Amino acid sequence: MKRRFTKIPPLIFGLMLVGQALLAQFTVTGRVVDETGEGLIGVSISARGTALGAITDIDGDFSLEVSGNEATLEFTYVGYVTAEVDVTSGSAPLQVVMEAGSTQLDEVVVTGLATSVKRTNLANSVASIPASEISGIAVPTTTDAALYGKFKGVNISANSGAPGGGISFRLRGTTSISGSSQPLFIIDGIYIDNSSIPAGLNIVSAAAGGGSTSNQDNPSNRLADIDPNDIEKIEVLKGASAAAIYGSRASGGVVIITTKRGQAGRTKVRLSQSVGMTQILNPQGVREFTEERLLAPGSRFATNPVHLERFRAAVAAGQIHDYEDELFGNKGSLYNSRLTISGGNDRTQFFIGGTYKDEEGIVNKTGFSKEALRLNLNHTFSNWLDAGVTTNYIHSSADRGFFNNDNSTYTMGVSLSQTPSFAQLSADENGNFAANPYAGSNFLETADQITNNEEVNRFLSGATVTAKVFTTGSTSLKLILNGGVDYYNLNTTALFPNSLQFERDGNHLNGVSVQGATKNLNTNAAAFLVFSHFFSNGLSSRTQLGVTQEKFDRNTILGEASNLIGSQTNLDQAGTRNVTQDRLIQEDKGFFVQEELNWKDRLIATVGVRGDKSSNNGDVNKLYYYPKASLAVNLHEFDFLSGEALSQVKLRIAYGQSGNFAKFGSKYTSFLSGVVDGNPGIEIDILQGNSEVGPERQTELEFGIDLGALNNRLLLDVTYYIKSVEDLLLEANVPLSSGFQQKVVNAAALENKGIEIGLDFEVVRSSDFEWNTRLSWWKNDAEVTELLVPSYTTGGFADFLGQFRIKQGHSPTEIIGVGPNPDEDGLVVFGDAEPDFQMSFFNTLRWKSFDLAFLWHWKKGGQAVNLSALLFDLGQTTHDYDDFTLDPTGATSNGVFRVNNVGVDSDPYIEDASYIRLREIGLYYSLPKSLFNDVVQLKVGFSGTNLINIFDYNSYDPEVSNFGSDELSSQVEVNPFPSSKRFDFHVIAEF
Amino acid sequence: MKYTIFNFKSMIIALTATALLGVTACDIEDIADPNGPSLQGVLTNASRSDLSLLVTGTESLLRQDLNFYYFTTGIIGRDWYYFTGADPRFTGELLGRESSVLDAAGFYGSRPYQGRYRTVKNCSILLQAVENNAQRLSLTSAEVAAYSGFAEGIQAYEMLLALNLQYQNGIRLDVSDPDNLGPFVSYTEGLAGIRSLLESASNHLGSAGASFPFTLSAGFAEFDTPATFRQFVNGIVARVALYQNDKAGARAFVAQSFIRTTGDLYAGPACYYSAASGELINEIFQSPNQSEALIAHPDWVADLEAADDRASKIGARDPISLDGLSGNYDVLVYPSLGSPVYLIRNEELILIRAEANIGSDNNAAVNDINVIRDAHGLGNYTGATDDASLLNEVLHQRRYSLYAEGHRWVDMRRNGRLGELPLDRAGDDVWEQLPRPVDED
Repeated sequence: MKRRFTKIPPLIFGLMLVGQALLAQFTVTGRVVDETGEGLIGVSISARGTALGAITDIDGDFSLEVSGNEATLEFTYVGYVTAEVDVTSGSAPLQVVMEAGSTQLDEVVVTGLATSVKRTNLANSVASIPASEISGIAVPTTTDAALYGKFKGVNISANSGAPGGGISFRLRGTTSISGSSQPLFIIDGIYIDNSSIPAGLNIVSAAAGGGSTSNQDNPSNRLADIDPNDIEKIEVLKGASAAAIYGSRASGGVVIITTKRGQAGRTKVRLSQSVGMTQILNPQGVREFTEERLLAPGSRFATNPVHLERFRAAVAAGQIHDYEDELFGNKGSLYNSRLTISGGNDRTQFFIGGTYKDEEGIVNKTGFSKEALRLNLNHTFSNWLDAGVTTNYIHSSADRGFFNNDNSTYTMGVSLSQTPSFAQLSADENGNFAANPYAGSNFLETADQITNNEEVNRFLSGATVTAKVFTTGSTSLKLILNGGVDYYNLNTTALFPNSLQFERDGNHLNGVSVQGATKNLNTNAAAFLVFSHFFSNGLSSRTQLGVTQEKFDRNTILGEASNLIGSQTNLDQAGTRNVTQDRLIQEDKGFFVQEELNWKDRLIATVGVRGDKSSNNGDVNKLYYYPKASLAVNLHEFDFLSGEALSQVKLRIAYGQSGNFAKFGSKYTSFLSGVVDGNPGIEIDILQGNSEVGPERQTELEFGIDLGALNNRLLLDVTYYIKSVEDLLLEANVPLSSGFQQKVVNAAALENKGIEIGLDFEVVRSSDFEWNTRLSWWKNDAEVTELLVPSYTTGGFADFLGQFRIKQGHSPTEIIGVGPNPDEDGLVVFGDAEPDFQMSFFNTLRWKSFDLAFLWHWKKGGQAVNLSALLFDLGQTTHDYDDFTLDPTGATSNGVFRVNNVGVDSDPYIEDASYIRLREIGLYYSLPKSLFNDVVQLKVGFSGTNLINIFDYNSYDPEVSNFGSDELSSQVEVNPFPSSKRFDFHVIAEF
Repeated sequence: MKYTIFNFKSMIIALTATALLGVTACDIEDIADPNGPSLQGVLTNASRSDLSLLVTGTESLLRQDLNFYYFTTGIIGRDWYYFTGADPRFTGELLGRESSVLDAAGFYGSRPYQGRYRTVKNCSILLQAVENNAQRLSLTSAEVAAYSGFAEGIQAYEMLLALNLQYQNGIRLDVSDPDNLGPFVSYTEGLAGIRSLLESASNHLGSAGASFPFTLSAGFAEFDTPATFRQFVNGIVARVALYQNDKAGARAFVAQSFIRTTGDLYAGPACYYSAASGELINEIFQSPNQSEALIAHPDWVADLEAADDRASKIGARDPISLDGLSGNYDVLVYPSLGSPVYLIRNEELILIRAEANIGSDNNAAVNDINVIRDAHGLGNYTGATDDASLLNEVLHQRRYSLYAEGHRWVDMRRNGRLGELPLDRAGDDVWEQLPRPVDED
């Protein structure tokens, strides 16, 4: 054996420390059972301080050779409290009873690309939530929506309420100004695509035709495809100190999603069905007109007698409408069906999950449907080789309506804002809608006749092979190979038939059909070697070495047809056709090495470095290095603290760096194409590329303390972090006379500082009653610490309407406008998109057969730019138009006051976006088992999402983003699809 | 004593892993922009076809954000209102509503300005590509002159529009190096620089042979040879000369332009628009009688003489009001998605000559005025023929003949008459110029 040992290539060999000869050894045997005496299959047993381990077989039996004369065995099993047993060479066969349930501290956290660490030994504050909190309380419409308020330091906000999602993340503050701050999502080792791909609605909305050239189509982000019910656990690495090993893609943080796996034992079948209803979260109401109001000075209805005639006719006919209710009043029905089958034996385990979802939206003909199927398989080939495969097919379809900003008054929201209650828009008995004399479109007709659909067919698959190359008493070497594929086809269909008010009779483009096809293929592969060595003095070392490779290939073809032939929608059934194509190709390669040292679980130190290169950089073969180091000190493991009141005292400090790529294309200065009279031409693009462009670099230092008391029933963790980002890429505005508009430069730095505090308390634990509560509090402050270009405003429409300003010494999410006492830029600071703090309060209670869980979420502070109110005011239809609550002199009504301040004082439209919400609540009752002989469990329940909302904000919801996930542009709203609340009734049966 | 579990298979895996470790050592191949041709390639290694593509791209860019040029000049010049529920600035800042002022970052000023300079940039690239590749491509001197004449002529035309917006703020003339832009020059220097560039273009075109080595669109149908394109360039020189108050120069250049007293008043090069596949549509066009509308300014309607056939430039519609403004007529100057936008046309040339003759040959001025009046059903001019009266008459004719074509504001400004433009609401303002775009300083 020794002889073969020396054949290992020197490269690996150099990393190893050869184990010392062992003195003595003995064999421990025994059986592991649950509280009912049933044998547990697949329980991991390890001898502390050694590389030795075993797994229980189909009966729960195990046998393990250990060295020396005594040892401590650790028994770990998902869903059970970790057990420890001391054994000696003379011990009789063991009978170990494992207790169901687990405390947070038992959890294993994935920290390396190939390894994990016990939470108690972790030097970072890594947030993690289990399945029971992801999909166990209420029905999350999308995976990202399941995470609201559940992670400290994570700011999640919906871009709109449209079915199918559209959510942006910010982990510990803004990490980029012109690049993306969205985290990297990894599901079972697969790098998944989370793009938001526009459907080409701009041809109709002309949203990019005015003050903003940004795409405001508001597509959903593709994380929406992932079924939250499949998820076993979500971990969030919030900053570079935890995410450094993910290198150049990790600046926005990393969200690691682990899906459910089968467990050996009885085959479990779980069937759940929920039926629910959704409705608008916060209806505004409509302005009530009177003849006096109609004819008031300044009224847009006073200039022509036709309005008064319409009003009188409407009153006489009893036809005064609540158009908000007619547009948003749909009580959408919600159906979710779910079947899971899982089980297996000691060598092969499987998990099958199937979901069918059909949910309507609050606007007529909108909705979201999804069918998803997952098969996860694990197989142990031999005692040294095992493999796991995950496969997931998803089909989803979202009908999202037509909302957000426009420059045409064709979107439903903008049209609504221009339409008074006495307009007559309803369809006649033949289904023909009247033209809306107050806006370019009749939103009831638009809702009825347009299509704005996103349909996805997606296939995700990943595989991991783990081979134990060798194991001795004190050393082991593992090889892990991992690969993943994420492939999808997205078809967007936007149909605006020529029967619409704004497309018929030669208007606009006489019918528009926009169809997009996106093909996306991400592939990733990695190989790791993990070498562990246990020294006799209680020190253990784990060395990892790995290489990674990722490829991204996306191709979007968008066809626009107008001048449609009759009611045809095919692209070729049109007089005018245009096509555009957009491609993204990127290849990254990297390596990493990491060394962990653990001294008796008392001191845990880690150092590592990642090196990355990418075709996205100016110099494609330059390696960028991202180091990390961390130290955790478990004071309670030292003798001087053991047995004290505090069951856990951990001090931790972690440092790391990570990167963020420039937007694809930043290194190119290219031409766009233009056609004149059938001849193609080339037009210089507005972006002056930077052939030297490299990634942004984030450095994070975090430190904190974890305390446990009352035998860890009470846990407190406090974390402080300083996260600075250098070489921030700016699409800096350049003098327009250069012919360019923007140039990519590394020209800024910013810093986020924040505090996160968590308190977990198992208040009561008895056989009849359990109460667990968790209180989380977090805040973040950001500042632009360096700016090499002049300060500038961005992210909105115009300074006087409220925008963000990038200025040294100020917050990057500061909202400015015009008003009295301007600063040196001629601007006034009205607020900041960043909240003062956020807090969540999560409780689970069990009383006999009843389970109750609820989550409160409080966001304090943070402003938003409410341009919906502006458009309603300009249309003179705002619900509070005639109230007198704003003008300090009492002279003008709210609507008039706000409009009079346009261009003078931006204050009225920049509002506090604080809220308190009952995010989720679920109440379940388990029927007595004695009622059934073939059902293990039957539960019925009720759940609700966003049932209680408290805010002052003068629109549907303070959580908005007209510009989608663009980093700095969240918190600007222009007549979005309103948010909704939902109620669901559940029946869950387990066989 | 067996404490090593170790076999041959795992050795192979270990070797595989070692090989994989070498993966990072492999190079990544640099990927060319998959979405478009690169600037560097065109500059250093252009083909003849690339040069043609640059010409067509330049013609295409003439239209870049051009609608905003017409909206802005037309609104400030009180030709029309732009009513839209979607943006309050068309009826707010541009008309100086209450205390609102123009915004240096406002799209109505920055977008048309940037659009013009983007065309200028495309021309600079064309000039550089020609210079760098002339030898390699064996371009003849006539071909080089043709490219130069085209590029300089278009550059000057575009800078003139930018200068019209910026007026006394001045503009940059030297913008060939984006990282090292030339200084801002005053309005007067700007006009002089534009004129000399136009004259240089005209000279190049004089030695550019009988035909262009590239194709222009139907918008340049009568102006697609060096000789005829030169007539267009000379027409622009005449316009600049008039702005410079160089009436002799204006007369000299208008004589070398395509002026035809008996010809079609709408003869002239134009931006090409079409609703056909792949083409750009005229974004100034608005469907008539909608709430989203270009509304004729009531003053223009009121001052329209009864017999004037230029009444066809507007059309009656349902009365409409917004933001304290109202109107009863849509502007029909751009009646379809395919309506052309003229760079300069015969009618303007005749009016330039009329104005240039005032003070030196008033009879000639009256003759030209009558050409215009007759063409529009008004009969000969019968008013006083002193210089001031004739200037009033020319400005009146320009107001109606060149309605909604971006002239009224500039004409009133160069004659010091901005104060005569009507204010519709108490507190409104007539702006003299757009602020310098925010990133220019």
